[in-house]
Amino acid sequence: MDIDDILREVDPTFDFVPGETRDLQALTRAWVAERSAPELLDWPPDGLFERINDRIKQQIERVEEMTGDMDPKTNFALIVIQTELERFKYLVRSYLRARIAKIDKHTLHYLSSPALRARLSETEQAYATRHQALLHNHYLSSFLSSFPQSLQNLNDQAGNISMIDTPDLETAVFIRLLTDTLVEGRGTDSDGGMDGKIGDIVILRWSDAKPLVDSGRAEVI
Amino acid sequence: MYGDAGAKLVGQAKRAQTLTNLPPYLTELVRTITREVRDLDKDVADLLEPFQGSFHPSDDQATACTLLVNHLSMRRNKRCLLAYHRVRTDRLEELVWNSYDVVDLAGQQVRDGSGGMNGGGSGDGGTGSLCPQEEDYMRQYSDLLAAYKGQWTDIDLTGSLEPPRDLFIDVRVLKDAGEIQTEYGAITLTKNSQFYVRQGDVERLIAQGYLQKLS
Amino acid sequence: MALPLPTGLVPTEVAFLCEMEMVTIVPRQRLESITLLSGKTPALRPPHRAELPLWLALLLKKQRRANIVPPPWLLPASLQDLVNQETNIDPEAFSPPPPPPMRSDGYGAAHSYTQHSTNPADVVLAPPFLPSCTQGAPSGYLPYHWLEMAETLLAHAADDIPGAADARALLRDLQEVRAAKMRGSTRHLEGGGGVLNLRGVGAMELAESRGFVLGIVDGVRKLGASVEASRREEEEEEREGGGGGGDSDDEMEF
Repeated sequence: MDIDDILREVDPTFDFVPGETRDLQALTRAWVAERSAPELLDWPPDGLFERINDRIKQQIERVEEMTGDMDPKTNFALIVIQTELERFKYLVRSYLRARIAKIDKHTLHYLSSPALRARLSETEQAYATRHQALLHNHYLSSFLSSFPQSLQNLNDQAGNISMIDTPDLETAVFIRLLTDTLVEGRGTDSDGGMDGKIGDIVILRWSDAKPLVDSGRAEVI
Repeated sequence: MYGDAGAKLVGQAKRAQTLTNLPPYLTELVRTITREVRDLDKDVADLLEPFQGSFHPSDDQATACTLLVNHLSMRRNKRCLLAYHRVRTDRLEELVWNSYDVVDLAGQQVRDGSGGMNGGGSGDGGTGSLCPQEEDYMRQYSDLLAAYKGQWTDIDLTGSLEPPRDLFIDVRVLKDAGEIQTEYGAITLTKNSQFYVRQGDVERLIAQGYLQKLS
Repeated sequence: MALPLPTGLVPTEVAFLCEMEMVTIVPRQRLESITLLSGKTPALRPPHRAELPLWLALLLKKQRRANIVPPPWLLPASLQDLVNQETNIDPEAFSPPPPPPMRSDGYGAAHSYTQHSTNPADVVLAPPFLPSCTQGAPSGYLPYHWLEMAETLLAHAADDIPGAADARALLRDLQEVRAAKMRGSTRHLEGGGGVLNLRGVGAMELAESRGFVLGIVDGVRKLGASVEASRREEEEEEREGGGGGGDSDDEMEF
């Protein structure tokens, strides 16, 4: 008996959305959001990503088993399985690379506080830390080491311009409401608010959208 | 004038972003700017020396102003250098993501690098436009990426970012091509036969004219 | 650079998403159930209809193993209604999206797929995971992936769509009238208000105008940054110094 079976007993409507569909919906949502939001989002909770990767691994093993003992001409099931596998691999790949691109762009920012660090997976943290070290080393060996000691840091705040570049959280995004909810957004001439209905597609600043997205009331599209 | 060299370097960085090939590393210019920073730092030290650590800006505004300008110039030069190097490391990383390594790059630069406008810059033969530090960086980043990729071997992290389309295609055999190995085992390609195959398995045969892709 | 793509989905990525939409097929050959990462496919037994994701339906169609049943909204009569809705009934807004699909719970009650469940492990479904392109989808409503779904079906399964030529022409009309609405929405964007509702807009329409639309919003924000900052300062002062001031408060609310 797995978790789905238990939930099914407690909630009879549960049956309609199998676990695989829920995971694919969650992964797809995370991918679209990461491709569209101006900053790095949280690593998916509840082991979603690890679960999907395990399943991909198992499916690859299955394909290898199947290819051994099947006639290529009648092997349509294998074609279907492989086609789907490529789709999943693409989704995971594009998602991971969208994240790495953001981490590379603002490495010091995402390493600057425990809260921001916590958005990265362990592997991403290791990558980011090492990448930053490589860069710093490269600057040192290229020119920085012959600078006076006081100028060798990479986090000056001189002239009130921080050397640590940060993503622009006021960038506009599109969201879709997943439930009826009040939507408030700041604007240039005036601030706005609306009684949002499920399915509404709204343009607003990411900083105003984030609370709705984090609480599951909206998704980035 | 102080700052000119820095401005020139940033201009070169900006230009490099629009070029297909990375232009040669400007060793001399970088050295000039670094030297400028050390000179400025020495000036600052010389200016402050007579005060024995008890300099009050309000008492000597002229000196204070000189110190400020020197400080700002140093920091500006530092930013220029960082920007220039970062633009270049970004390009190197892009190459690594596209599966180039230092050796490939050397070949590429030899092949089509001679037309570079900065020709005769730091051209030391071998790896063309990279300075030794950059070659090191590219190697180290390759290792880092390989390690990260190793965590996700099943999905091939450096694979295509185009959504998968037509993984399998219909092909007609135009000339006998013998037996090919596919993931499913061997297929014998005899003229005029038709197969539904994985596109990746036969791309080369299509290019060579053995197979024709059917829409 | 790890990802040489602009922020936000590009059209090919939107088409990829659309291929996850469920469609109805009529199998022409038997096919046993296949265990996929996204779940088990139904066993196919001609002539019993089945629902499959579009990517798989297309694979079957190309292999002549199945025909695709077009969604009711794609039939010419439905598209004609929609053109009328978009041009005459409401020339300002996009036509409304389909109502949330309902499902039976097997106990005689109907539930929305999208309702918030009390179960924390549940995930709220949204397009492309809500059935809006199956034979049971309502006619007269354009789902989120309408344009790419229509184009894909017309390209690969035109022989399954009654009145395909008419459908093509009507889709072009729809595209035009809705593109004009998209451009018209920039009028509201230039006003610099905080939120703008584009209810009913489609995924491909967003992808194609994303750079333009968001560019305007961000441009207006940057140009108006100092205006906005001083407005906020004034409002802050008013709130602190106010002590009553009902009238001005009401104004500021807007």
